[in-house]
Amino acid sequence: MMFDFKFADIGEGIHEGVLLKWFVKEGDIIKEGDSLFLVETDKVNAEIPSPVGGKINKLFAEVGDTIHVGNTVVIIDDGSGDNKVESKQEPLSEDEKGAGVVGEIEVSSEVIESSDEGKEEEKEARSKALATPVARKLAKDLGIDINLVKGTGAAGRVMKEDIHGFKEDKGLEKSKEVKKTNIFAQSGENTLLRPEIKREEIKVYGEVERVPISRIRKTISENMVLSKSIIPHTSVMDDIDVTELVKLRTEQKEMAKGKGISLTYMPFIMRALSIVLKEFPVFNSSFDDIKDEIIYKRYYNIGIATDTPDGLVVPVLKEVDNKGVLEIARELEGIVERARNKTISLEELYGGTFTITNFGALGSSYGVPVIKYPEVAILGIGKIDKKPVVLNDEIVIKSMMPISLSIDHRIIDGGDAGRFLLRLKELLSNPMLLLLS
Amino acid sequence: MTLLNNIGALRHALDSEMARDSSVIVYGEDVGYEGGVFRATVGLQEKYGKDRCFDTPLSEAAIVGSAVGAAINGLKPVVEIQFSGFVLPALNQILAHAARMRNRSRGKFNLPMVIRMPYGGGIRALEHHSESLEAIFSHIPGLKVVIPSTPYDTKGLLLSAIRDPDPVIFMEPKKIYRAFKQEVPEEDYTVPIGKAKIVKKGEDITVVAWGALVREAQKAIDEVEKEGISVELIDLRTISPIDKETIIESVKRTGRFLVVHEAVKSFGTGAELISIVNEKAFLHLEAPPTRLTGFDITVPLPKGEHHFMIEPRQIAKKIKEVVEF
Repeated sequence: MMFDFKFADIGEGIHEGVLLKWFVKEGDIIKEGDSLFLVETDKVNAEIPSPVGGKINKLFAEVGDTIHVGNTVVIIDDGSGDNKVESKQEPLSEDEKGAGVVGEIEVSSEVIESSDEGKEEEKEARSKALATPVARKLAKDLGIDINLVKGTGAAGRVMKEDIHGFKEDKGLEKSKEVKKTNIFAQSGENTLLRPEIKREEIKVYGEVERVPISRIRKTISENMVLSKSIIPHTSVMDDIDVTELVKLRTEQKEMAKGKGISLTYMPFIMRALSIVLKEFPVFNSSFDDIKDEIIYKRYYNIGIATDTPDGLVVPVLKEVDNKGVLEIARELEGIVERARNKTISLEELYGGTFTITNFGALGSSYGVPVIKYPEVAILGIGKIDKKPVVLNDEIVIKSMMPISLSIDHRIIDGGDAGRFLLRLKELLSNPMLLLLS
Repeated sequence: MTLLNNIGALRHALDSEMARDSSVIVYGEDVGYEGGVFRATVGLQEKYGKDRCFDTPLSEAAIVGSAVGAAINGLKPVVEIQFSGFVLPALNQILAHAARMRNRSRGKFNLPMVIRMPYGGGIRALEHHSESLEAIFSHIPGLKVVIPSTPYDTKGLLLSAIRDPDPVIFMEPKKIYRAFKQEVPEEDYTVPIGKAKIVKKGEDITVVAWGALVREAQKAIDEVEKEGISVELIDLRTISPIDKETIIESVKRTGRFLVVHEAVKSFGTGAELISIVNEKAFLHLEAPPTRLTGFDITVPLPKGEHHFMIEPRQIAKKIKEVVEF
């Protein structure tokens, strides 16, 4: 049978990708699971495996082409021989050609999809506003998305008064200046919202070179604009005395090495965070500002902002609260490595509930991290250094770790952030507590 | 399963029903010895004899009028009008007798008969070979009007039509008689008359088409979907009675409606569909229900015919217009 391989939906919100490389050519014999091609999507480069074995019959795209979900990319002959009808087709007889006594009738052996008559189809509900054209026009003129207006008429019909009421209640700034889509809607489509600001063309005053950005760069750029245009950020910074933690890590480093694990501070910090996040659930939530609801997440997946040659990628370590320090260390090494060499799977990039960024790795102390929307907080870790510290009116030398916490000020206040950091400080200053908690 | 084009599916359906039911007879101009100008009845006379498959004189009124008599007397005639443009002499028989016999006889007689006719343009034919007259028949109470667009539906709908107790006008889009093939089960099955088919689910707009234009609409949809417009395509399949439920339910979801037909614009099936949408889905509409149709003219001769035929790019343009309203 000829197997028509269509570019499938490989993950949330991915609709298209650029074909980077073919691993096969026409006539090649392949096994099920062999890689067919490499595609660059908005999020990651993915090797697409073949669902069947057989002979490559025809390729439908060239390197550099953009392929869309649903496009046929390659046809594979799986050798089962069901295509007899096609391949052994007899030449058209006079009768077949016969277009009747008049006119010219198109004659073709193109085979169309089989009928799905009688198959049950699932019905999906979609909530769109009920309204008369007059009401729709009114909403449009006022710049209001009528689907957001609660209707008070029969069967929930949106009346003109409802639209006027909506305008007064919510104020125009909400629906007019930032065009919003409910990202929590069930469609799962993460339509990016962007403030509609008129930009002037950038003037240049000398020789320049214009370079198009990569897809990953574009995704980063859109995500940053998204976060900064929705979330009112505020940040709190502090230094944590991690002298005991440094000692503990130095002691255990060799032991971990024996198990093939390179033990950094990050697993301790993640372990501590998973404890604090449970005690301060709002830090592990999302804010649905369209329904005015906070979505508390009962899972604790921590993302690690990772510097890769192509730009920022945030692999996510799942269910951190169920893992010990060594286990975290081992898995962390794996996902960061995969993020750097682009072999990470899409699943490992989704589902984060909180993010850590480690600018200390490059020697910086403080930063103002940008929250990964729709998360509501992000923790920045600075470089651990020995510092003179005043303790009982004496100057002593302590290992200090600078930290910076950015929060979504819509649902988290400075006081909450202070208490959150205090508890984090307590755990990281007394690492024994990490074992006991 | 066997791969058949629309003509093959017609022939296969006639053959299997003649074998199953000895009261089925098939006749018309060139239908017997020649097997029909489009070869829909090839081999039937040989197989079932001259009593059950035969040629008639060039008299459409006689073809239909005799079918009325045959049906009253217990046969199931399936008659062929060579081109729908030739049906006009038979209109009196169809409208005044076939459509009314059940009512006129107060239910005593019903007419299980099928009038088949190729219709529509796009094959560079002569005058009165290319028109689409489905609205004329649909305007008459007592007639059912069916138009299949695929081989599967052709067989299933023709079997339903032959087994229907009342007259069915079975219109065949001749442009796609041999344009593609589809798997058709060899065993007996029917496709119900009066039930439209959702060819493709979508969210932003409902497009209704039938006959040869279903395929053109599909091509247009492939284009606009690249631009992110999600289209629900419905193949009407039965022009009368219209499957109101499927259309209304769809428009309530999508909020937008476009009907595409090859027949002339004014007083047409598109107008009827738009009225139904306005009556039943008014509060859901986000744009005016719209029609894309042939012009209000006689279908041009071959040289100018392409000006009349509806192409995918026109459908795509119209879809965008409605969605962006």
